[in-house]
Amino acid sequence: MDTNTHDRQGGGGGGSFLARLGGIDRRWIFLAMGLSIAIPILLKLRFPEVPGPMARATFDAIESIPEGSRVLLAFDYDPASAGELQPMANAMVHHCAARGHKIVFMALWPLGKQMADATIDDVLLEFHPNYAYGTDYVQLGYKAGNEAVVKLMATNLPQQYSTDAAGAALSSLPLVAGVQDLAAFQLIASISAGYPGAKEWVQYANSAAPEAFTLVSGSTGVQVSQLLPYYPAQMEGLLVAVKGAAEYEMLVTAKYPSADKPELLAERLGQGRVRMGPQLVAHLLMIGLIILGNVAMIAGRSRGGAR
Amino acid sequence: MLQRTVPIAILSLSGLILMLAYFSPMTTSWGETVLEWFNILAAVAFVLGAGNLLAVNLEKISSRRPGWAYAGITLVSFFLMLGFGLLKVGAVPNPEHPDLHFAGSYDTAASPFGWTYEYVFSPLTATMFAMLAFYVASAAFRAFRAKNTESILLLGTAFVILLAQTAAGMFLTGWIPEDSMFAFLRLDWMKVAITEHIQTAGMRAITIGIALGVVATSLRLILGIDKSYLSRS
Amino acid sequence: MNGTGNGTGNGTGNGARTNHRFLWISLAVLGASLSVFGTAMAAQASGGDAAQATVALSKSIGVWCAALLTIGILTFLYKDNPFYKVCESILIGVSAAYWMVNGFWTTLVPNLFGKLAPGLVREVAIPSLPVSETPGLDMALAFVPLLLGLMLLWRLAPKGGWISVWPLAFIIGTTAGIRLVASIEADLLAQASATIRPLVVMKPATPAGADGAAAVGAAAVAATVGALDFWGTVGAITGVVGVLSVLTYFFFSLEHKGAVGKSARLGVWFLMITFGSAFGLTVMGRITLLAQRLEFLFKDWLGLG
Repeated sequence: MDTNTHDRQGGGGGGSFLARLGGIDRRWIFLAMGLSIAIPILLKLRFPEVPGPMARATFDAIESIPEGSRVLLAFDYDPASAGELQPMANAMVHHCAARGHKIVFMALWPLGKQMADATIDDVLLEFHPNYAYGTDYVQLGYKAGNEAVVKLMATNLPQQYSTDAAGAALSSLPLVAGVQDLAAFQLIASISAGYPGAKEWVQYANSAAPEAFTLVSGSTGVQVSQLLPYYPAQMEGLLVAVKGAAEYEMLVTAKYPSADKPELLAERLGQGRVRMGPQLVAHLLMIGLIILGNVAMIAGRSRGGAR
Repeated sequence: MLQRTVPIAILSLSGLILMLAYFSPMTTSWGETVLEWFNILAAVAFVLGAGNLLAVNLEKISSRRPGWAYAGITLVSFFLMLGFGLLKVGAVPNPEHPDLHFAGSYDTAASPFGWTYEYVFSPLTATMFAMLAFYVASAAFRAFRAKNTESILLLGTAFVILLAQTAAGMFLTGWIPEDSMFAFLRLDWMKVAITEHIQTAGMRAITIGIALGVVATSLRLILGIDKSYLSRS
Repeated sequence: MNGTGNGTGNGTGNGARTNHRFLWISLAVLGASLSVFGTAMAAQASGGDAAQATVALSKSIGVWCAALLTIGILTFLYKDNPFYKVCESILIGVSAAYWMVNGFWTTLVPNLFGKLAPGLVREVAIPSLPVSETPGLDMALAFVPLLLGLMLLWRLAPKGGWISVWPLAFIIGTTAGIRLVASIEADLLAQASATIRPLVVMKPATPAGADGAAAVGAAAVAATVGALDFWGTVGAITGVVGVLSVLTYFFFSLEHKGAVGKSARLGVWFLMITFGSAFGLTVMGRITLLAQRLEFLFKDWLGLG
């Protein structure tokens, strides 16, 4: 049966306009949603953001570890979630590099390695060209196994990663030569879209060595509910959806601006704030749709009761 | 015995080794070996998935079922991508070993595999998920009805979060001073209270419940009480 | 998303001819894009300034390809159609191959073949593969996942499917083993510990100013030491009450009557607020995904904004 025909028949012929509204063709709703996002993008709507407590906690967690620490960034997402998570990744990499932290990149998702490579090119090497591969940053890449990868890294990292993503032996890379397990890192950050991701880092890494490192995470709005119980006892910082990304971007760019490429930094570390523009209109549309649906239901009931 | 006893023994042994690995340093290395094997099998599972895809689509083409042309497109795109990747077609040579073809990098944007990832796979995946925005709007219009106390609580909370997440929260209640006695009426205050206390409490209880379920199910499997996986044979 | 109930199928007559025409047009467009790209990559191999020009060309073709595929997927919102089906079929094929290639080069080659035939792997693919101190033992142990892997692939065979149960049992056992302890540690004990916190929360004392002088008078400092944090206390009590009431709701061994029933109902209210908040956060996530795609279409493809 054609759903759209069913939609048109849902309200019945005649009767009040509001009651018939309940049976509107859903393609009108799709159009309204599309326009509510497209128009703010074209008009470049921007709104001020006030950093919330979780974004501040994430920022403070990275600030609190000594400069030049060894940090592990896990890119546990794919292009489907890049809209929310790439701004977090960009800001986190710039933040770590601005603090002089040595960064080890890895991925629990197959496509995460590509996301990490893009971040290295667009942010790390763009704004911190002094970063040298092998001494300041290393790309370990992706390994199959989901939580088993984290579990094995927690006790024997070289057995999980015998080489980096390009095939170089870990012993030839000063940053990771001699690293035996996750306790060698002062900070672990998981930018996570689902399974495997931040939850697995809490369960298998943080539980194995709770005092050894600080764990922070950036998460999609869909997954963040599952991570809230871990904050702040097991996870010291948690960025929530694109709003968390926008707030974190503000904190990072305010403290660590780029002297020679300010506009480029504003563009690369401003995507979260750009994507908050359509959120206002779309959220108001959602509220309006819910109210309209309930009004249509009440109108339909009272029409049925009057008969 | 081969179809029941041996698999049960394999399951119990692997599970017990990994449990013991947590508690005894002497058994940690056994656990690491088992995990390494697990990771290899996870990679083999991708090959299995690809093989299954081939079987299903080839069957569709050979029996000329409706939509068989699309199965052909699936197979063509599969083999092209597979060829680009496995054979490292157009791979960027490894600077330290430029003479070794298979030491090169196949996933940079300069190679066909990387190009296909960047301009075919990535936009398709992202757009598929982007469609959910339309469906969530349609579902909210059709399904969210304030019929009783519980649904009113759900909708009210959703409204608070939807407003507080955006600039609307600041416009509506940002004028209330943060240190006044009415600060709890600010939408951002409400959002923090809901997410950090109420939602956290609810999700914490759900997490505890799930953990108890995982423990129970894992024990049933390791002790051989639950044998449902054997029904596949 | 597979077009159920949202359009016509591949029937007979004019509808089928129209569908096939769209199919061939879609294929022709994609084929033209790929052949131009192939020419561009071949020209790139010749190096020099031509290389830069062809890199820009391949990027332009790529952006057009990505834009057409994006629009193809979005057409499903109007009605199921052959253009969407072509895009969906391409996605299925490409993603299966992508995962297989990744699994092969990142895990099978270094971790399996690198132990079975380390010399060959070093010679052909990974020259820097570390030399093992116990190559014989590593090779012997590597036969186990090799054998289990081959048994897993036997699942595709028409007969003898029971052979794949052995590696499946290994996978299930390993997963059960690691998840059992991790769940107890991270999701049970840690969560219980996080719940059992002081119900009465006191404000910390106001610290002295950075310049060494007291930021407030001595009397004011004395007044903030030990002052009750009202909202912190309310939050702590809410947390404990919330966890206990939701757990009561999920406890079905006792009938939900009397005090247990009231507690369970309170638990339901906490759950409704939880799910309402989760819905709000989910909406934000979904909208961001769509915003990202529209940004690509407007900025990267059409050059607007």
